[in-house]
Amino acid sequence: MRKGRLVPYTMLAPFFILFLGFFVYPFFYAFYLSMYATRMGANQFVGLNNYLIALTDSEFWHSITTVLYFGVLQAVSVLLVGLILALFLDSSLVKGKAFFRLVYFLPYAVPGVIAALMWGFLYSPQLDPLLRVFSLFDAGKPVNVLSSSSLLYSIVNIVTWEWAGYNMTLYFAALTALPIELYEAAKIDGCNEWRLAVLIKVPLLRPMILFTSILSIIGSMQLFNEPFILSNLTAVPPNYTPNLYIYNMAFSYGNLNYSAALSFLLAFVTFVASMLFLYFTSGEQRREKRAARKQRKAMRQLGTEKVGIQS
Amino acid sequence: MSANVGVNQLQRRNHSRTNVGRKAGTTIITIVMIFVAAYFLLPLVWLLISTTKTGSELFNTPMLALPKHIGLFANLKLVSTYHGGYFWRWYLNSAIYATVTSVLSTVICSLAGYALAKYRFRARQFVFGMILASLLVPAAALTVPTFLMVKFLGLMNTYAGVIVPGLATAFGVYFLSIYIGEAMPTEFMDSGRVDGAGEWQIFWRIAIPVLRPGMVTYLLISFIGSWNNFFLPLLILNSSALYPLPLGLDVWSTYLTQAGAGVPPYAQIVTGSFLSILPMVVLFPFLRKYIASGMITGGIKM
Repeated sequence: MRKGRLVPYTMLAPFFILFLGFFVYPFFYAFYLSMYATRMGANQFVGLNNYLIALTDSEFWHSITTVLYFGVLQAVSVLLVGLILALFLDSSLVKGKAFFRLVYFLPYAVPGVIAALMWGFLYSPQLDPLLRVFSLFDAGKPVNVLSSSSLLYSIVNIVTWEWAGYNMTLYFAALTALPIELYEAAKIDGCNEWRLAVLIKVPLLRPMILFTSILSIIGSMQLFNEPFILSNLTAVPPNYTPNLYIYNMAFSYGNLNYSAALSFLLAFVTFVASMLFLYFTSGEQRREKRAARKQRKAMRQLGTEKVGIQS
Repeated sequence: MSANVGVNQLQRRNHSRTNVGRKAGTTIITIVMIFVAAYFLLPLVWLLISTTKTGSELFNTPMLALPKHIGLFANLKLVSTYHGGYFWRWYLNSAIYATVTSVLSTVICSLAGYALAKYRFRARQFVFGMILASLLVPAAALTVPTFLMVKFLGLMNTYAGVIVPGLATAFGVYFLSIYIGEAMPTEFMDSGRVDGAGEWQIFWRIAIPVLRPGMVTYLLISFIGSWNNFFLPLLILNSSALYPLPLGLDVWSTYLTQAGAGVPPYAQIVTGSFLSILPMVVLFPFLRKYIASGMITGGIKM
């Protein structure tokens, strides 16, 4: 055919080669590794044994429950703060919107490592006057927000600081994309700003809320930087999060095979968590679809031609 | 939340959107917004002020109090000379990692995205499916494999070991192919062909000028991503001379609690952190628009 036929392949080649080398191949190689174990100095094929060990590895599952709990807290704080801020900024009630949009989004430009260091310092009681206020609630005892019981909440705060503005930006952009006529129609019908936000904007933001929730689930399952940095300032267990456990398994204990198996298990758990989330949040839509299907079926049985009824 | 309810009641009391009701609502919400803004700015302001304090003042003066003695220059000197004086080298390294990665990644991903968006060829569906599938794989699953691949290629402890694995991102191709599919009219390519231009000429001369905004967006996202990158360098680098800033500062912070590491380097870490976020935070107001517009293209289409 034309001489340009090979052009798209050539354009794709640099990406494809790198993608094969640093994604596809490592992915399968890791799977291969996960089926071996070092026994008496020799590499031995053990099949799925590493996975069986992992399934009963309480240290691993402890880290999973930690991040699941963290994920719920994080989703509530990060997404809710982001959503409320975006709705405020989209309403006609706020002045200086450009300024607030910028300030809230600013932490995006700060590396996670630096954010964790800054907050880590701010968590030290000598530095932070707010912590002294907290201590009033606890009979004046000095508060250590990096103690093992409150570490998780301290990390939630860091992550909220880092990501609430990012999610606000996503929501705000999605709100801006909504047709303005909708608002005008609602206002003519007597909707105030508050009702407009809750009854019209939030339902329309649904796809974006689902999308950010998924990102947030994946992100919290992979939590690493913040606890890793805070471990320089306080005691953080080596299996605090799955990723920290995987890292320590590979690079502190030198067990690459088991670490690879844990990585796959983590990926699988993340995938299942995301899918379960999507399944439960789309329950209503599924019911609607099922009802519509039933309706169509009934129509056909009745021999009517009106198949395209909208539900 | 309580502020929300307050506004709601206020509005209900006034019922209509009179100017008075609106003003009151605006004031309350604006106050809330200012408090939230203070929360987001607090660590940054604290960092700015602390950079100008001496190490002892850092703990002896109130958090946001201005320093009595300007310690900024002493701190700068400390940062520049602490532990082998690598700090500015790390700065340079971060700039190299971020610049090279973002520029090359933009070129590579734009080419691939353009091919996927604008040509119909046999492997297209397959490649696109593979990219979509890989978006679902969390990066954590690839930590050990990437490390092993870099090791296999003999790139451990080199610049290339940090740069090369981050070049071909599935997100980049996905984002750019969607952007290109919308922003580049196929008629432009046809008229170029009629005028006798080759496919590559069309790409460089016609497509790139049209597609510049989306490419800039990806370039920025990629730049910030690799400027902030910590995990991969942590696995791959072991000599201080090659560290990027986040890794270097992490190593400094291990001296805080380590026995026998000398005086805890609080002032150094504070000043180092401040200097390392300074360029991004200063440039951010100008870049925000591009970044936000790209996020929405990458996000909404999912």
